[in-house]
Amino acid sequence: MRTCMLILFGWLACNGIYANDTGNSNDSSLQLTVKGQVVSEIDKLPWAGVTVLIKGTNNGAVTDFDGNYEIEVSGPDAILVFSYVGYKTQEIPVMGQNIINVSLEEDQGFLDEVVVVGFGTQKKINLTGAVTMVDAETFESRPVQNAAQMLQGVVGGLNITQSAGSLEDRPSINIRGVTTIGSGSTGSPLVLIDGMQGDLNAINPQDIESVSVLKDVAAASIYGSRAAFGVILITTKTGKTGAPSVTYSNSFRSASPINVPNMMDSYTFATFFNDANVNGGNSPFFNEARLNRIRDYQDGTITESIIANPNNPDRWADGYGEGNANVDWYDALYRDQSFSQEHNFSLRGGSDAITYYVSGNYLDQDGLMQFNRDEFNRYTTTVKINATITDWLSLNVSNRFIREDFGRPSQLSGGLYQNLARQGWPVLPLYDPNGNLYSSPSPALGIRDGGRDKSQKDWLYQQAQVVITPLDGWEIFGEFNYRTRNDFRHWDTLQTFNHDVDGNPYVYNRGSHVHEEAFRENYFNTNIYTKYNMTLNEDHNFGFMLGFQSELNKYRNLSAQREGVMVPSSPVLNTTSGVDSNGEIVAPSVSGEYQNWATAGYFSRLNYNYKERYLFEANLRYDGTSRFRSDKRWQWFPSLSAGWNIAKEPFWESISNDIHMLKIRGSWGELGNQNTSNWYPTYVTMPVGTANGNWLVNGTRPNTSNAPGLVSQSLTWERVQSWDVGLDISVFGNRLSSSFDYFTRYTSDMVGPAPELPVILGTDVPNANNTDLKTYGFEVSLSWKDRLKNGFGYGIDIMLSDSQSEITRYPNPTNSLDTYRENNKIGQIWGYETKGIAQSDAQMEEYLSSLANGGQNALGSQWAAGDIMYTDLNNDGKIDSGSWTQDDPGDRRVIGNNTARFPFSATLSADWKGFDMRAFFQGVMKRDYYQGSSYFWGAYSWGMWWSTGLKEHEDYFRADADHALGQNLDSYYPRPLFNGKNQQAQTRYLQDASYVRLKNLQIGYTLPIEFTEKIGISKLRFYLAGENLWTSTNLSGIFDPETIGGGTNEGGSPNGNAYPLSRTISTGLNVNF
Amino acid sequence: MMKYYKLILILPFLGLLVSCSDDFLDRPPQSNIIPEEYLWEESELAAYSIEQYSLFPSHGQWSFGTFGIDAHTDNMAAMWSDDKYVPGQWKVPQSGGSWSFDNIYNINYFLNTVVPRWENNEISGNQSGIEHSIGEMYFFRGWEYFNKVQALGDFPIVKTILRDDEPELTDASERNPRSEVVRFIISDLDSAATLMSNTSPDGNKNRLARSSALLVKSRVALYEATWLKNFKNTAFVPNGPGWPGKEKDYNQNFQYEAGSIDAEIDWLLGQAMEAAMEVADAFPLTPNNGVLQQSISDQDNPYFNMFSDIDMSGYDEVLLWRDYDQGMGITHNVPVYAQLGNDGIGLTKGLVESFLMENGLPIYAANSGYEGDDYISDVRKNRDGRLWLFLKEPGQKNILYESDLGDHGTAIEPIPDITNSSAEQGYSTGYTIRKGLNYDEAQTGNGQGSTGSIIFRGTEAYLNYIEACYEKNGSLDGKAGQYWRDIRNRANVNPDYQATIAATNMQIEAQGDWGAYSAGQIIDPFLYNIRRERRNELMAEGLREMDLKRWRSMDQLIAEPYHIEGFKIWGPMQEWYENENLVYDSGSANVSSPNRSSYLRPYEKTGNELVYDGYSWAMAHYLQPIAMQHFLITSQNNDVNTSPIYQNPGWPTAANQGAE
Repeated sequence: MRTCMLILFGWLACNGIYANDTGNSNDSSLQLTVKGQVVSEIDKLPWAGVTVLIKGTNNGAVTDFDGNYEIEVSGPDAILVFSYVGYKTQEIPVMGQNIINVSLEEDQGFLDEVVVVGFGTQKKINLTGAVTMVDAETFESRPVQNAAQMLQGVVGGLNITQSAGSLEDRPSINIRGVTTIGSGSTGSPLVLIDGMQGDLNAINPQDIESVSVLKDVAAASIYGSRAAFGVILITTKTGKTGAPSVTYSNSFRSASPINVPNMMDSYTFATFFNDANVNGGNSPFFNEARLNRIRDYQDGTITESIIANPNNPDRWADGYGEGNANVDWYDALYRDQSFSQEHNFSLRGGSDAITYYVSGNYLDQDGLMQFNRDEFNRYTTTVKINATITDWLSLNVSNRFIREDFGRPSQLSGGLYQNLARQGWPVLPLYDPNGNLYSSPSPALGIRDGGRDKSQKDWLYQQAQVVITPLDGWEIFGEFNYRTRNDFRHWDTLQTFNHDVDGNPYVYNRGSHVHEEAFRENYFNTNIYTKYNMTLNEDHNFGFMLGFQSELNKYRNLSAQREGVMVPSSPVLNTTSGVDSNGEIVAPSVSGEYQNWATAGYFSRLNYNYKERYLFEANLRYDGTSRFRSDKRWQWFPSLSAGWNIAKEPFWESISNDIHMLKIRGSWGELGNQNTSNWYPTYVTMPVGTANGNWLVNGTRPNTSNAPGLVSQSLTWERVQSWDVGLDISVFGNRLSSSFDYFTRYTSDMVGPAPELPVILGTDVPNANNTDLKTYGFEVSLSWKDRLKNGFGYGIDIMLSDSQSEITRYPNPTNSLDTYRENNKIGQIWGYETKGIAQSDAQMEEYLSSLANGGQNALGSQWAAGDIMYTDLNNDGKIDSGSWTQDDPGDRRVIGNNTARFPFSATLSADWKGFDMRAFFQGVMKRDYYQGSSYFWGAYSWGMWWSTGLKEHEDYFRADADHALGQNLDSYYPRPLFNGKNQQAQTRYLQDASYVRLKNLQIGYTLPIEFTEKIGISKLRFYLAGENLWTSTNLSGIFDPETIGGGTNEGGSPNGNAYPLSRTISTGLNVNF
Repeated sequence: MMKYYKLILILPFLGLLVSCSDDFLDRPPQSNIIPEEYLWEESELAAYSIEQYSLFPSHGQWSFGTFGIDAHTDNMAAMWSDDKYVPGQWKVPQSGGSWSFDNIYNINYFLNTVVPRWENNEISGNQSGIEHSIGEMYFFRGWEYFNKVQALGDFPIVKTILRDDEPELTDASERNPRSEVVRFIISDLDSAATLMSNTSPDGNKNRLARSSALLVKSRVALYEATWLKNFKNTAFVPNGPGWPGKEKDYNQNFQYEAGSIDAEIDWLLGQAMEAAMEVADAFPLTPNNGVLQQSISDQDNPYFNMFSDIDMSGYDEVLLWRDYDQGMGITHNVPVYAQLGNDGIGLTKGLVESFLMENGLPIYAANSGYEGDDYISDVRKNRDGRLWLFLKEPGQKNILYESDLGDHGTAIEPIPDITNSSAEQGYSTGYTIRKGLNYDEAQTGNGQGSTGSIIFRGTEAYLNYIEACYEKNGSLDGKAGQYWRDIRNRANVNPDYQATIAATNMQIEAQGDWGAYSAGQIIDPFLYNIRRERRNELMAEGLREMDLKRWRSMDQLIAEPYHIEGFKIWGPMQEWYENENLVYDSGSANVSSPNRSSYLRPYEKTGNELVYDGYSWAMAHYLQPIAMQHFLITSQNNDVNTSPIYQNPGWPTAANQGAE
């Protein structure tokens, strides 16, 4: 809400400052000092903190404690603008006066504030859909990579999740929770940049003027089938009539990784793995001699991290078999600090006929990787020109170019994180005893020497808009948007070399090749629409709109790869030999394809309000898509919304001084979702491959083909219906405002995962429109903003939202727990109840004997001290999972839900005498998470090669009083075992993934204007900002609450071990000329 | 008014943009092939049929490839034991398992699509190439069904592409009695043998030929004949007492096609002999010159090299092999494991002792010349040439041709590292094999092996013929006798098998060889020696479990568990480990206790092992259980009795429960 008020400010200021500016300069006139006092209209007390601006400039002053101000004006015909939040802005011509006293009165009509909605703007007071808007301040001084990260937590119901922190990870976005569980369809919001579909991650955040989030179908429906799950409307800055205004800002950042796991030291690790082996009936993996070496190395009595290979004494031994080093691979691979910088420049200005906006931005961000950099550079330029050609014709053109360069070591990929702790045993040496990087195996050598992966992505947005105004109130718009995206990616894999005992290099990784790929997307979008507004009898306000929209997206790519890099310093295709390391000729692999899709739609809108008291809006859209066959292609989508602004009722007048707006609104709408992942979901295609067979015939790889799957040609639209009721309230001169929405969204006929059928079918069951989902929740925001009489301004914004989803139709006749079930919430975690860890064999035996019908045999055998005792929930005398169905779940029950509930944020801001401060907290109030991966368990059910040894795992059960690591009966973890009997999902190990995080804190100081204007600067602000500074959570220290769901999949769920997020400290300045 | 003129000019222009024909939205895929356009040409057929070769077991990464398949039998022991020898531990799964039809669907799609086109002469290309691909697909349907029969027994016969219609699929889920399935397999293999060329069309034996179909036919027929014979009068054969198929209406009237189970057995044995003979007569044995190469100047031994050569096309008895290539990244890690502890899969004492002496006598026979097993070198002396050739001995050279291209070699065979519990470095039993070892160091890059992988070799046909002949007639015919002598000659064993039979003491053999039993009874020495030949010749070639099951050779484990043992650790060889600190009789033991046995018992060290008291068995374990979900999804109201599917004998119809 506060942000909306700022828009109001901005809007007023823009109108006020620029509206009447003729562009004349008063340079030749006399300088003049104007003084005065500002008081309140009601109590006549002095008023501090009122902004005084010279109209048409950015020059201004603020009143002091006593309400006094003093300002230099350029001439007697200057106009002063007095403004304060919630009060009427006054414009007073100087007309040669030296003293101007002002009394400010509360603004009753301040709600002229407008928000951006589909194909236009609307007064906020007249809004009937669920729309939230934020302004440019959100994007100020945030030391992060992209606009999406800056939006995280800012808008209620806009859920942005960054589940890994690498420079190429992009956050995932949804509006109002689970959108679709359709297999083969996605439910991301539609992102429109100045009316054209674009990429939220690839835009200069400093170009953004405002972001509107259209949350319900009624608000989004005008955009049709691509907007079924909401729209993010980005409006970028445009030129402003007036003198050229130049802005420059920069930031210099230092980032360090947060919540990186800590590994066990090598001795503890070896003991832990030995215990796990012995507990499972195997011999210890690390023998006594090796344990001694490990200890001696830690003590410093020996310095050699590994011995020579006993079977091949020229070479160092295998690290797993013989290593005795003590390496924390996270420390080894991640840097402590990395540096980044960003510079932004913009210029805006213009005359009545033509305004312009030009900007440029450069971001140079370094990643956290040691040995071989990962780095990201972004360059953006924008030119926007708005020209009024005649009184009935205007033309707006813009050109936006974005380039992203990304580079990383070729071997820095998902597999690295998956394997970092499970394969990076602390006993593996980083360097061999001669000081050469040694892969035994371990990742450092490959990261340093194994080649680079570089990509360059270019976006070119070109937009032209023609606006014709044939009559007053009637406008015709023609928009022609064209975007090309060109990506080039290169990677090379180079030979790597280990060194033998004598220090001579030998080839470790033999293969080398160069891979090049290119991708081009041409996207063409036409919007043609016309609007007519009229007012009857001064009370009945009508608005009509009619339009047509089409999109055509064409995509093609090419790739080639050839073996044999001849010159490692210039790995390009032309310098590859085509010969592998054995001297055999290998055919290069090539590929290329063309794909396209198109949509078309007709839309119309009717707005009506009576005295801005009773509000009504209806939309109707008729949409077609290339993704479905012609008989299932076209669909009608209606929506309705209405509002009642009680504060405009005559009976309200008595209290309207305190409560200016009290609006109840409601909406209903329906849309179709055509975002199928497959662009041709109704076509059966033959899976064929060229020279990719694994069964060599005549020494070459054969072509391959397989049976096509089944496809239903009757696939059609997923339908989305949403209901929304809302309440907007604004009191005390708009200082306190609040908004509340409750919504229910039905996603029906989802392209469901196929109904289970007897497997004798032999292939995947074709998808059908057979699944329904209901998502419901609320958003509430509360904003308080005030400025004390002493000039201290402060604000608090609180946002809270929630969403839950329930499956209402699903083809799961047996109610199997492997997949969704009807009338169940999404995110359920099924598990056992933990009774405890048996402290002794006797206790375990006693417990098992109390379970007469089979004890815990269904889960495993050889139960002993340190194992889990599960609770017999169904009292059948045995612990098992029944038929694994909802009706017969055995001893399992729903132990939690991993939906992130009640995401919230709080922004605290204050400013005083040029100092400003802003703290942005963000978090999730309730979230259960079951992390069953090897990173959680340490000794893991998949065996030793899938196990890890992290600090947290040291707290494992040890009954032996003489154990090398000490007895530990009161442990968190059970005794280590390389089997899963203790690792069933269960209550004891359910994680509480709720958290609160100080996402951003910034402190700034703006030099007094009297000081800066002498050097021709209208504003100069220095700031210090920090990102991810503080976190509070109950989660296991192995994971970060934001990335717990990131990382590679292990047995169907992510292992939570991803590239870490960073804590960033930045400093910089903003300057306006 | 000017405005309106302009407007009139603009409106048609807008109308042009708005008028949007449906063509704009017709966008079929441009970079894909639709099924109607495919499988019309010989090379397309080949692309499809060659893709099916992945159904064969062959070498892969991070395992001992086909040489390691016999782990968890009485022949070989991996680092860890298998739950199937602990009744109660092997449980009915919730879902998945061998009750799957994906490969069958894939094959039926081809046959349903291509055969009618072929019959109408609509497929272009060389006729024999077309027929060969179709033959391959018939072969693979037989192959896949043979896997199903081994895993589950009775199994639905599906020849068409079924519709995604639940009632239809439920009906189709009816299990055909195993004998019907085997008849179906034999008919598919006959089609394959008829259609496929006599020699592999690629000329390198990388593709199937008629002989492979016949070899598999003899394998299938022998499998089923011995199964029916050994399980006769049990629930494991159709119409046997307690056969669960009888509970279902659709199987009430089952009759063996040959009229009776005995006639069926006889017919099958005849089929096995006929098919095996054609292969055996066409494929001479690769010669064994008795040389164990230990220096570059030593002569190559083709019999040794056959199992680990890069190019196997030149070996007489190889019917089909898989080719690998480092440059193309089609590699495996068998050569690295062959250099050291065989990926932790060691030979058992039982297997090592079953090899005869050179003179054809069992080791225990009087005057056999056996030197005992105090040292591995003693074990090899005067033995069957195959044991002598393939059993590794410390001090032997593993690398003769040095190369910089490999760094995971073990140039000299070390003392077996029996205390190392890593499969990569450790030795489970102390006995390891040289089969599959390549002397070229270039093959020892980790994961970079490119030696071939044998899929079929002709000797199996010899062995199939001998066994089928004896099972059919109770004696060997001239051909069988000759085959047997050929094998023994090639193994450098006295070819007089009668002398061996005469010297065989079944009580002693039964201690180390499950194959000495059928249905819990010790078999006659003649048949036993046929089985012994098979065991020794096919050592580490992945057929042992199949043989043990069809012979019904695990019943005796139920009463008397079997202890897996390796070499004689508590003899003089313990001195090898003087510096190693052998720990036993303790929770952190690294070897088994001398109080249990003089021989290393890999699964009896710490006392925590599930098989600490030996391998046991449950009758149900001869077949796999069918997962619970398959019953539920074909049931009415989740009542599994309404499902047309029935569970295998001894297995409960409840998830996560072990066999009775």
